[in-house]
Amino acid sequence: GEPHQVNPSHGGQVTHRPGNQLSLCSLLEMGFSETQAKEMHEGATKSRGKHVPSVMTALLLLGLNPSSILKIMQKCPEVYSLKGADLQQRIDHLRKMGLVEGSLQRMISHYPKIMLLPVKRVNMVSRLLREKCLFTIHQVTEILRDSPEVLEEDLAQLEYKFQYAYFRMGVRQPEMVKAKLFRLPLSELRCRHCFLERRGLYQTPDKKGQTLILNPALKDVLCVSEETYLTQVAMATAEEFHVFRKLMAREQEEKGREDEYSSDE
Amino acid sequence: TKWAATRPTFPATELALHNFDTSYSIQLRDLWPSIRVAMLSEQKYGALINSFSSAPNVITELEAQGCKDFISIDCTRNEVHQSSLDSMTSHRDSAELDPAALQPSMSPDIKCLVFPKGDISRFNPARPDSSGILGYYLLDAASVLPVLALDVQPGHTVLDLCAAPGGKTLALLQTHSVNHLWANDLSGSRTMRLRRTLQSYLPKEFLEENKIHITSTDGRQLGMTEEKSFERVLVDVPCTTDRHSAMVEENNIFKRSRTKERQKLPLLQTQLLLAGIQATRGGGNIVYSTCSLSQLQNECVVQQAISLAQQELGITVQVQDLRWFAQCFSDTFHFAPQLSVGELVLPHLCANFGPIYMCKLQRMN
Ligand SMILES: C[S@@+](CC[C@H](N)C(=O)[O-])C[C@H]1O[C@@H](n2cnc3c(N)ncnc32)[C@H](O)[C@@H]1O
Repeated sequence: GEPHQVNPSHGGQVTHRPGNQLSLCSLLEMGFSETQAKEMHEGATKSRGKHVPSVMTALLLLGLNPSSILKIMQKCPEVYSLKGADLQQRIDHLRKMGLVEGSLQRMISHYPKIMLLPVKRVNMVSRLLREKCLFTIHQVTEILRDSPEVLEEDLAQLEYKFQYAYFRMGVRQPEMVKAKLFRLPLSELRCRHCFLERRGLYQTPDKKGQTLILNPALKDVLCVSEETYLTQVAMATAEEFHVFRKLMAREQEEKGREDEYSSDE
Repeated sequence: TKWAATRPTFPATELALHNFDTSYSIQLRDLWPSIRVAMLSEQKYGALINSFSSAPNVITELEAQGCKDFISIDCTRNEVHQSSLDSMTSHRDSAELDPAALQPSMSPDIKCLVFPKGDISRFNPARPDSSGILGYYLLDAASVLPVLALDVQPGHTVLDLCAAPGGKTLALLQTHSVNHLWANDLSGSRTMRLRRTLQSYLPKEFLEENKIHITSTDGRQLGMTEEKSFERVLVDVPCTTDRHSAMVEENNIFKRSRTKERQKLPLLQTQLLLAGIQATRGGGNIVYSTCSLSQLQNECVVQQAISLAQQELGITVQVQDLRWFAQCFSDTFHFAPQLSVGELVLPHLCANFGPIYMCKLQRMN
């Protein structure tokens, strides 16, 4: 039996509170249109953020305009509940990681969830990328910029994906960055790679890095639509790939179960 | 010894694949990648219905899971019209074709259920009826095709020259037309397996009726000893078993230690086919089959055997056109386009059966 929310059309009545509450007026002052302000206010009230004004300030300081801020809040209402100081610290930290103006804003607009991740998490992932996967600092920045999703991934899974590309496919770090490797789930990477491999169009290089055939570039395998991948690289039909995907899922599931059994012993 | 120590040892499956890549990319060209990925992925099975089992509702239960008997369905849907046969003959050099061979006819009463194209469901193991007889036998559905093509008719005496482990023998027996069946296999242990298969699928009485004769001898000798004894002969020869060789390390014919044996396969296959031809009565049919894509083990063996039969045994055999047959089953299987002789089922992810090659021959004298 929680008290019910205020009807948004009467929202104006509860805005004139001092302190950390957000008022419609202040939103209008920040440059939001009336409808935008109403929507923001409604969202803020719903998520009961206590420090919304300081969050708004931090976002405005980033140079984001009201309509992109509104979009961010719609995509990720959890941002309302942040503390402005925490948010500012996270943004500063991302800058320190080498994300320059422009790409920082683009990244936050495209992937607002990044604002929810503690500095510690970002550090852990970037350390893993540098120390275990031997990416350069500059490459790590590029990875974060192109695929911020990487920050949310399970660390063991992340390392495994790197190792898959490195050892199984014989791809080096610069090519991984170019191919935006970390955008794709491991299952999709494996599907596209194994499909090519079984068709005889991809080979794991030997110890000297040699193959009998010319492997396609990783970016041509990963950074293209499925249709392009099928017609330009795999030279296969969508039906074949569709069945292959199902078979791979089952193979992996059964392999996982096997591994479980053997590690139980 | 230094050599041996530094020489890399490749798994036989890799040797097999390398061998296939080399020969099949030339033989099959742009079809090869699709076949390759299919052979390296899980194959599909068919459930050969055992009409000797009294287990209830076998077919309805399978149908409830989404399976269908590909034989009755394809045969009714793809009725072969004389006009399409005419147009087919005009395409190919028909000089050596017997017009009678174009009368479509195949072994009756065989039912084999498969999941539809693109469906990767698996079959449950077959259940026994009250007397322990199993309701169906799981096999590569394409391996039923050589048996269908053999066109066994009531009263026929049939020889299954290389029969173990017995999938095709069992399919032959489903026709209920076989008057007498001789099942042979060189390998003693495999003949034991054949015996066990038949025991799990046929009632005791049936096995005791002396309708089936099981032997374990070199099939090459049966040509002489059993000359002109059978209306129908199935010659399902040992081959490079391509799918198995690409996937399974154990018992792999591409192991270095088995190189000689592998190289001699086309010779052995030719001799077995010749023996089969010799054991056939005049007017009778032979079906030669393999589970390989290799031209050398398929078309070349058939052509070699035909000319040797003529030259050395004075036996004339004619190739029977099976294009009507391939057309009939084209909804279920992928057939290779235009072989010089015979038909070849190509593995494909959407219909992952085969490879199965078959060629039907008729002994003319
Ligand atoms: C492809 S398998 C036959 C499969 C069987 N027709 C079926 O459908 O279950 C080939 C068989 O030929 C047998 N074989 C090899 N050499 C032979 C020979 N010289 N004479 C007879 N059989 C032989 C092998 O032991 C093997 O079981």
